[in-house]
Amino acid sequence: MGKLSKLLSVRPEVGPAILLVLLIVVFTSINPKFLSILNISNTLAFTVELGLIALAMTLLMTSGEFDLSVGSLFGLTPVIMWALFNGTDIPLELAFLCAIAIAVFIGLVNGWFVTYLKIPSFLVTLGMLLVARGTALYITDGFPQRTWNASGEWLSGFLVGDIQIGALRLYMSLFWFILVAVLLHYTLQKTKMGNWIQASGGNADAARARGVRVDATKIKLFVLSSALAGFAGVISSIRTSAANPNSGTGYELEVIAMVVIGGTALMGGRGTIVGTVIGIFILRLMRNGIVMIGVPGLAYNIFIGAIILGMMALHSWLDRRNQSRG
Amino acid sequence: MSELLVQMDNVSKSYGPVDALGGVNLKVYRGEVVGLLGDNGAGKSTLIKVLSGAVKATGGTISIKGKTVEMNSTTDAIDHGIETIYQDSALVTQLSIARNLFLGREPIKGSKFLGRLDEDKMAAVASELLKEVGISKDIPPTTPISALSGGERQAVAIARAMHFESDLIILDEPTNNLGVAETQGVLQFVRNAKASGHSCIFIAHNIHHVFQVVDRIVVMRRGAIVADDIDPKTTTVEAVERIITGMDS
Repeated sequence: MGKLSKLLSVRPEVGPAILLVLLIVVFTSINPKFLSILNISNTLAFTVELGLIALAMTLLMTSGEFDLSVGSLFGLTPVIMWALFNGTDIPLELAFLCAIAIAVFIGLVNGWFVTYLKIPSFLVTLGMLLVARGTALYITDGFPQRTWNASGEWLSGFLVGDIQIGALRLYMSLFWFILVAVLLHYTLQKTKMGNWIQASGGNADAARARGVRVDATKIKLFVLSSALAGFAGVISSIRTSAANPNSGTGYELEVIAMVVIGGTALMGGRGTIVGTVIGIFILRLMRNGIVMIGVPGLAYNIFIGAIILGMMALHSWLDRRNQSRG
Repeated sequence: MSELLVQMDNVSKSYGPVDALGGVNLKVYRGEVVGLLGDNGAGKSTLIKVLSGAVKATGGTISIKGKTVEMNSTTDAIDHGIETIYQDSALVTQLSIARNLFLGREPIKGSKFLGRLDEDKMAAVASELLKEVGISKDIPPTTPISALSGGERQAVAIARAMHFESDLIILDEPTNNLGVAETQGVLQFVRNAKASGHSCIFIAHNIHHVFQVVDRIVVMRRGAIVADDIDPKTTTVEAVERIITGMDS
């Protein structure tokens, strides 16, 4: 017990990893098709799009901030891209860059409000959630954008093209997800930037006193969060051939749940990309698995809520145990 | 007489109509441990905040090694060789000892663009420093600060100041909330810092702690220095208490 709790303290992702294995074992033992290639292929396609947002959110939450506007940017960015492409003569590549640039700008605005006006990120990004969603609805009159003429574009193949390995169909988005996960894991654990991110969330005043540029660090993370949310939205719009101004509604909370379940501290200072990847799969496999074993899909939130509460209790207990030893 | 390290001339600080410091003069020499005493509201904290760059003086000048300097931020103070250690150590409890020691001045391995931390160097230096400040327990440098005792945390903060060649280490109530053994540990860290050529300003409510480590005692009252050359070897705790409370006049 002592060794296990020590392991759980040092590696916060171990608890979620045990839960993930348990879920796979339980779901597969009830319905063996759970681990079928078709099911894995379908689950991976959507999982990694939401996962891209969760990866950026991990770094942002480690620095002690939130971004509630990611779901709206997931909807707004592709809407802007397709509105530009369909309504003007500019090529898809340029429309893509313009849309991502707008997402970056929104991230900058979020960061500026939080760091210079000292408004809590919860409130700033809640406001931005409404601004971005409202903009998406206004410029489309609430209707989805045409996307079906993207099939001949190299960019759509580059972003979401698929390859068939036997019966397994893999999308390019999986490659983007793995690339971003490796880069952000490296950044958080091995670099000076990662040290600054953790210090900014752990004790911002102490970090500032040591010369850490806390505000600049946080602004960069808001930009990363917005850019990846927009990028994920574009990928999703091409894969599903639909740029709906309402898409991404409610994603912000699901993404935060993925990050928290993975072991990243809600109040900042400690984060883990490996844990987030596990958290992403826990939530997606839960959604998929409970339907496959015959539990009504509407009960999904009950299980997710219970897992969040359980994981928070585990991390809180480990933190207290760690403190009392000090 | 050793080198004059810090000289504060006629330094004042006002908060609106309230004068927290009214023209203070203070000198600290190299290798000297100065005890700064005074009752609540005497101006000790304000004086230290000005010297550590946390607040800007309203008037007067500060000179370091004979050169007049501007103290606009804590990083200015650190750049001028002044390190402040607060009661809560100003450490990031989630980070390891090694990462705290190098926070803001991380050594980089390989390409600067990739910004990869030189963790081997950080661990080696941290282990060496922990021995230097007198931590006898074998604590790995990868241990998070949250797993350390209050005294050990102060030791890490002192080790950081020593490593980055701070000329002056300001200790603001470092023994508050510590047990007897841990307090003795912190006092020993101060002696070790002095032995390695660092100057210290030591602030504590417990006069007995101050008497054990300082070379000279400075007493403040109502925003002014009322005594600045008390030798702890030739005076008594009671006499200093009378000066602090104004019962001497």
